[in-house]
Amino acid sequence: MRKKKIAAFLIFTLAAAFFAGCGHSESSEEKNTSGKKTFVYGVTNFNAENGETDINPHNDSSGWACIRYGVGETLFRFNDAMEIEPWLAESCENTDELTWEIILRENVNFTSGRHMDGEAVKECLEALVKEHERAAGDLKIEKITAQGQTVTIQTQVPVPALLNYLADPYGCIYDVQEGVTKDGIVCGTGPYKAVSLITDTNLELVKNEDYWNGEPKLDEITIRTISDGDTLTMALQSGEIDAAYGMPYASYPLFESEKYTFSSCATSRVFFGAMNYESEITSDPAVRKAICMGIDKEGFVETLLGGNGYPAQGVFPENFSFGGDAVQGEPYDPQGAKEVLEEAGWVDEDGDGTREKDGKKLILRWLTYPSRQELPLLAEAAQSTLKEIGFEVEVNNTADHSSIRADKDAWDIFVSAMVTAPTGDPEYFFTYRCLDSSSGNDGSYHSDELEKLEQEMMQTFDTEKRSQLAVKMQQTILDDHGYVFCSHLRMSIISKANVTGLAAHPCDYYEITADLDVA
Amino acid sequence: MRNRTKRKLILFGALVAILLLAAIFAQVISPYDPNLQNYEIALQPPSFAHPFGTDRYGRDMLSRVIAGAQTSIFSTLLLVAVISVFGTLIGVACGYLGGLFDGVVMRISDICLAFPGLVFALAIAAVLNGGIQNAVLALAAISWPKYARLARSQTLSMKNADYMMAARLSGNTPLKMIVRHILPNITGPVLVTAMLDIGTMMMEIAALSFLGLGAKPPTAEWGSMMSGGRSMLQTYPWVVLTPGVAIFISVVLFNLLGDTIRDYLDPRSTHGK
Amino acid sequence: MKKYIGKRLLLLIPLLLGITFLSFAMMRIAGSDAILQKTEVSGVAVSEEAIEAQREELGLDKPFLVQYINWLGNFLRGDMGKSYISGEEVLDTFISKLPATLLLTGLSVLLTVVISLPLGILSAVKQNQWTDYLIRVCSFVGNSLPNFFVALVLMYLFAIQLGIFPVISEGMNLESAALPAITLAIAMSAKYLRQIRAAILEELSKEYVTGAKARGIPFSVTLWKSVFRSALVTILTLLALSIGNLLGGTAIIESIFMWDGVGKMAVDAINMRDYPVIQAYVVWMAIIYVVVNLITDLIYCFLDPRIRLGGEKE
Repeated sequence: MRKKKIAAFLIFTLAAAFFAGCGHSESSEEKNTSGKKTFVYGVTNFNAENGETDINPHNDSSGWACIRYGVGETLFRFNDAMEIEPWLAESCENTDELTWEIILRENVNFTSGRHMDGEAVKECLEALVKEHERAAGDLKIEKITAQGQTVTIQTQVPVPALLNYLADPYGCIYDVQEGVTKDGIVCGTGPYKAVSLITDTNLELVKNEDYWNGEPKLDEITIRTISDGDTLTMALQSGEIDAAYGMPYASYPLFESEKYTFSSCATSRVFFGAMNYESEITSDPAVRKAICMGIDKEGFVETLLGGNGYPAQGVFPENFSFGGDAVQGEPYDPQGAKEVLEEAGWVDEDGDGTREKDGKKLILRWLTYPSRQELPLLAEAAQSTLKEIGFEVEVNNTADHSSIRADKDAWDIFVSAMVTAPTGDPEYFFTYRCLDSSSGNDGSYHSDELEKLEQEMMQTFDTEKRSQLAVKMQQTILDDHGYVFCSHLRMSIISKANVTGLAAHPCDYYEITADLDVA
Repeated sequence: MRNRTKRKLILFGALVAILLLAAIFAQVISPYDPNLQNYEIALQPPSFAHPFGTDRYGRDMLSRVIAGAQTSIFSTLLLVAVISVFGTLIGVACGYLGGLFDGVVMRISDICLAFPGLVFALAIAAVLNGGIQNAVLALAAISWPKYARLARSQTLSMKNADYMMAARLSGNTPLKMIVRHILPNITGPVLVTAMLDIGTMMMEIAALSFLGLGAKPPTAEWGSMMSGGRSMLQTYPWVVLTPGVAIFISVVLFNLLGDTIRDYLDPRSTHGK
Repeated sequence: MKKYIGKRLLLLIPLLLGITFLSFAMMRIAGSDAILQKTEVSGVAVSEEAIEAQREELGLDKPFLVQYINWLGNFLRGDMGKSYISGEEVLDTFISKLPATLLLTGLSVLLTVVISLPLGILSAVKQNQWTDYLIRVCSFVGNSLPNFFVALVLMYLFAIQLGIFPVISEGMNLESAALPAITLAIAMSAKYLRQIRAAILEELSKEYVTGAKARGIPFSVTLWKSVFRSALVTILTLLALSIGNLLGGTAIIESIFMWDGVGKMAVDAINMRDYPVIQAYVVWMAIIYVVVNLITDLIYCFLDPRIRLGGEKE
């Protein structure tokens, strides 16, 4: 009897020991014994949900992964001030409105071994406009010719922002003759070469021995997709990853020590709401104005984002010449908002805290989605401040927001996150969101003034003039209170203190470069 | 032995009653408005003014846990009540009527049972777009067959008993038979199953909420409170732990009460399902 | 016996039809569109015509029943369509991720048996002594904690504080499987050890046990030779049920631990409304569950002579 009991316990402890024992085999540090320098990068956003299923730049948004993780490079790139400069290209000349002559660097080879010449770039760009619809729409390429290291691009109509578009991640140049593997791997020109890829799981990179711009310092890099923020936090704490992108704000205090480094910068990703002009509530200009005045942007950024963001005035952040305080939005003013509503006839007659007008309650249906951690926080914060001025906010936070958004009777304000200037140029936001012809004009916003300004923008090549137009266009939509811009994202990469050369960039494109090193 | 069970029954019954009373009078006993935001006092650790601390919006956690009791406990009770009543009625009807009706309904219940629990609920909740009502609906859709089967097998075993024969011969209508003789006799087992189900269901609602398919803001609900605060487990643990402990205590209490009721109703056997 | 098996197999047909129809209907009724979804998340514009063209390509513009019959036909041919998101064959993806889930399920069941069986028996034998109370308290605790919470706490304890196990799984190995398997096993063991205890207690209360005692047979012999064997049927049923529950229950745990199985795939797909993937998951999980149940019933039938000798179990 007693023996049996002991036996039973033995089995149990043995099993427990068996599992515990497995744990001791190896940890990430011990793997380095071969003398190889390795680096593991945990990221939340390299996944199918973001349209990044692989690293083929011509596939949806996968170009982002291609450029971020050091596999592909573009002809032009942005510097820290978001100005365009040559990268794989050496120079460019605009011979007439429709013709661009690009001279390529001499010393660049693809990781397949092939030399990057005009012909290779031509093949890649031709494949791009064939396979990538947005690229085709942006570039409007008529014809490409190649000769030696020179590529000449002719467009159908004037495309003032052509170089900016070429700097978009979709513009990564890869060896088209080598092709794309079944797993979506391409041979680029970057400091690292992809060897294996599993969607939503990991990407393995090795050093590109033949890199044109300095010697990459690491031998092997693993990009690990970790969509869950808490898992990412713990993986960095336990040392399984060396650096992390997409850390939840609540975890930041854990890493504020000398053992970790933060690299942060402002990006053009804005959290903003689009008012629905077809709704009975938000078609009222007073209501729209009150909403703009009733959101505590400073409080949201300071408290809920822990200071990791910037209260927004307009579409673009401060580091753009046409961004930040170049335009003027409504400041947070609950008292003023109440007066605006009061004047427009919205009063709380039954004393339940929600205003009414003509028997209609001031209920605001706030549509947003959870995949960006800031959006639900913003919804809940705004719900509270707007309640004070007499709104009842019904939050609908759903990943399935697109079908609801298509039904214009089902929401009043759609709050989302968007990179407003992925190419450093201001026009994109307006053509995508605010015009009669925009595919993303969810709230059916319309302004004669804005349409006129866009006509002008389309014809303008001069950067200075484009900036001025961008300011006017922003002010127009702000004065109409058609949109409310809440905050811009401050993007942070957190790494172990021994990691160097990993810096956040305002356009969010360049993460792994030849500079990356582990001490 | 039976006296002890009775004492336990009274004790756990009283504790559960306190829990229910707290949930009913949540608005009265909360020290603060559970939805009142105040950034000045965000993420404060437990103190005299805020015994459970505050969350990142500066809301009082104690008030939110109390308000959450209302949402969590009542939605669970509603769910269990609906599936046990609905499931039982169907089961009794199947058992008593038999034939085609029985066959068809039981096949449907087979199909519902064939889907691994939470997965199907997840899919339904996703399709219905979250919200606590939809979470309840999703779980109800997959949980009723358990009761239907229980009630059916109980009915079958009773149907041909001598006293039932006698009752039928004395001219009782089927409806009368069900109401007078069958239902009273299966209330016990159904009640026990239901009591023991409360804990499980509470955790499943919490799990759906955890995945963002449950309660909507600013409604306080334990599962979504934990989900919203989970990244603060290491930094501001009270935000996660207080609703977690609340779920834990409620589940334990309902389970204990369920066990005791079972022992009380059927003192000879400790077997339960 | 043969007749019984035949009947069970026949019953499988309407069941499978029901499963496929229900999962298909559910996914289609939702009616939302993954294509729009995708463009929104990536924040990049796509023209209306392109969206229409893609919708047509995926057959989303046809009537409901036609879509179901098409889908069922394809399903029978092993074609479950392509993922809206990744564009890959759903069945291939599912099959490639299934072993990971099966491994995790297997380990969890094993662990559950190893924990719950000895403790359950011990608890029954020592009924109402302190060992019993202690075990039952532990079981109550384990049964009353949401598993996502247990996962977070375990991760914190074992991976960060003790550094024994990795937080994220590196492929399919025991080291990575340990934490998710333990998380799953804790809840399962808590649940099943109560039932094992109950099953053993029921056997213990039978007359033959008292009889054996009266005849001077040592209790341990009675316990293992008779009681345990009779309780085995119950235990086996519980195990089979636990496999079913686990197959579904792994989803949340897999996504927390980044275990690359079908559960994580399903949660991701649900978030993205990737219907073909959700369908494949729901349908196949249901089928696996049904088959596991069938096998259990057949084993049950072998073990229980009353069924084997002609009678039918209800």
